[in-house]
Amino acid sequence: MSAAIKTSPMNHAATPDAIAAAPRPAAGPSRWAALGRMLALPALLVLLWQLWAQTLPADSPAPTPTKVVLAFAELVKSGDLPMALVQSLGRVLTGFAVALALAVLLGMLMGTSRALRDNLDPIIESFRPIAPMALLPIAILWFGTGTPTALAIVGYAAFFPLLVNTVHGVSRVDPKLVSVARTMGLSRARILLSVVLPGALPGILLGARLAMGVAWTAIIAAELAVGAKSGGGNSGGIGQMMFVFYAYSIDLNAIVVCMIAVGVVALLIDRVFRKLESRLMPWRT
Amino acid sequence: MNAITITTAATPPSAWQRLGQARAFIALRSFALFAALWWLVFVWKANPLQLPSPLRVLDAVWSLLQSGELLEHAAISTTRLGLALVVAIVLAVPLGFAMGLNAKLDAYVDPLVELLRPISGIAWIPLGLFIFGIGDTLPVFIMVYVAFFPLLLNTVAGVRQVDRKLVAAARTMGVGPAAMLRHVIVPASLPTVMVGLRLAFAGAWAAIVAAELIGAPSGLGFAIEWNRQMLMTSKVFAFIMVIGFVGYLCDSLLRALQHWLTPWADGTGQA
Repeated sequence: MSAAIKTSPMNHAATPDAIAAAPRPAAGPSRWAALGRMLALPALLVLLWQLWAQTLPADSPAPTPTKVVLAFAELVKSGDLPMALVQSLGRVLTGFAVALALAVLLGMLMGTSRALRDNLDPIIESFRPIAPMALLPIAILWFGTGTPTALAIVGYAAFFPLLVNTVHGVSRVDPKLVSVARTMGLSRARILLSVVLPGALPGILLGARLAMGVAWTAIIAAELAVGAKSGGGNSGGIGQMMFVFYAYSIDLNAIVVCMIAVGVVALLIDRVFRKLESRLMPWRT
Repeated sequence: MNAITITTAATPPSAWQRLGQARAFIALRSFALFAALWWLVFVWKANPLQLPSPLRVLDAVWSLLQSGELLEHAAISTTRLGLALVVAIVLAVPLGFAMGLNAKLDAYVDPLVELLRPISGIAWIPLGLFIFGIGDTLPVFIMVYVAFFPLLLNTVAGVRQVDRKLVAAARTMGVGPAAMLRHVIVPASLPTVMVGLRLAFAGAWAAIVAAELIGAPSGLGFAIEWNRQMLMTSKVFAFIMVIGFVGYLCDSLLRALQHWLTPWADGTGQA
């Protein structure tokens, strides 16, 4: 595939918009060359993978590119993959929303009150190094093996990046603005809402993006582990689907499809939040 | 960290107030309050299978320490962690330097990195289980994968942001490529690489728990899940505390290493 793009001059001659970009005559060919460089290594690896797969016996469970594509088509057609993704994403968004509300509120209070920050910091700093997955056994003991457990893990995972970045964002608010607002006789709640919150927005949004990434990883881990430890799947989600493919139907191609889907969703989440950052804060970039 | 305090105290602090403002005292008071709350919830719920009392957990930590179980699992996990970090450094840092110095290599390799990076290490666990089986290799593989990307990206960024004036000055003075790398580029990019190492550690430490919980017969992640199945909740809590403590300890070690290697860059990259 890469060879076709790199070597055919027809490609860029055939696209009118490449020619239309007249002010920069070099843009056309170099764009195609860049695309070729971009695809070269991934395409080579897929090719090698396929060649290696040709040497395997026909009944080998090892994943191959063609079988992965077939498995993808099948999983989409049956609706299993979209269903599982929607279920996992729904859990992530619910857990994230709860964490967002709690962490931003607490972060604003901690950012503006020295006493509160000094008193809560030791507790927060001792929970932070505890990986979300370490709490999974406790969550299973408390909430069983269904959605509440997944929500608890996701909420816990998202809470700390949100909190830490909110506190940091509040500390970056210009103290002069706060003084001005106080001079004008604004109430404390009003200052928090109209001065501190907008000022801390860059920090909060950065925290939200990081938290969403962590939360998406955590949900996969939680669903996988719940599947592994409660003997299979009835609570659903993409992680559990992967475990079922691993433990019951031994379908490695489907596992690779799920891995790619997990990656694509992670990428989309990241893009959406970056877009949100530039939309909500046009003065940056 | 210039804090904005809306309320301000004007009177000079008395001796009592100064004690109240000492960091250690505040931390102790917070922990005591937390333990008291925990104990209250324990009394209210009265279900030691779900929530043991704080004292029972301390007791469990003590007995695990005495039986050696705690140190054994902690040693296994940290050994895996150390091994994985070393492998990741050996793979990622030289590649990062090469990519940072050679734009062409970067143009070819970076797209592959960006394709793989969104796939979290956790998502490799089922496939890894199939390839490596349950054992030592799976957690190490997952951690190497997780640690690889922050190390690589930070190394590339570190090499790229080396001050060009320094490179030009060294070149004017007739410094050869090897000496340039050793005396200019490596020291100038080291702070960013160290930040990458700390990020890599944080990711790997979070991943090892998941990897051991699902696919290893030993280690801290295995221990918490095993004790849950045995319904020894106080030991589950004890091991969770150990995971937090060891994570904190390792991060402090890395901070010390960072300070020792790059004392001129203190305070950068508080991850």
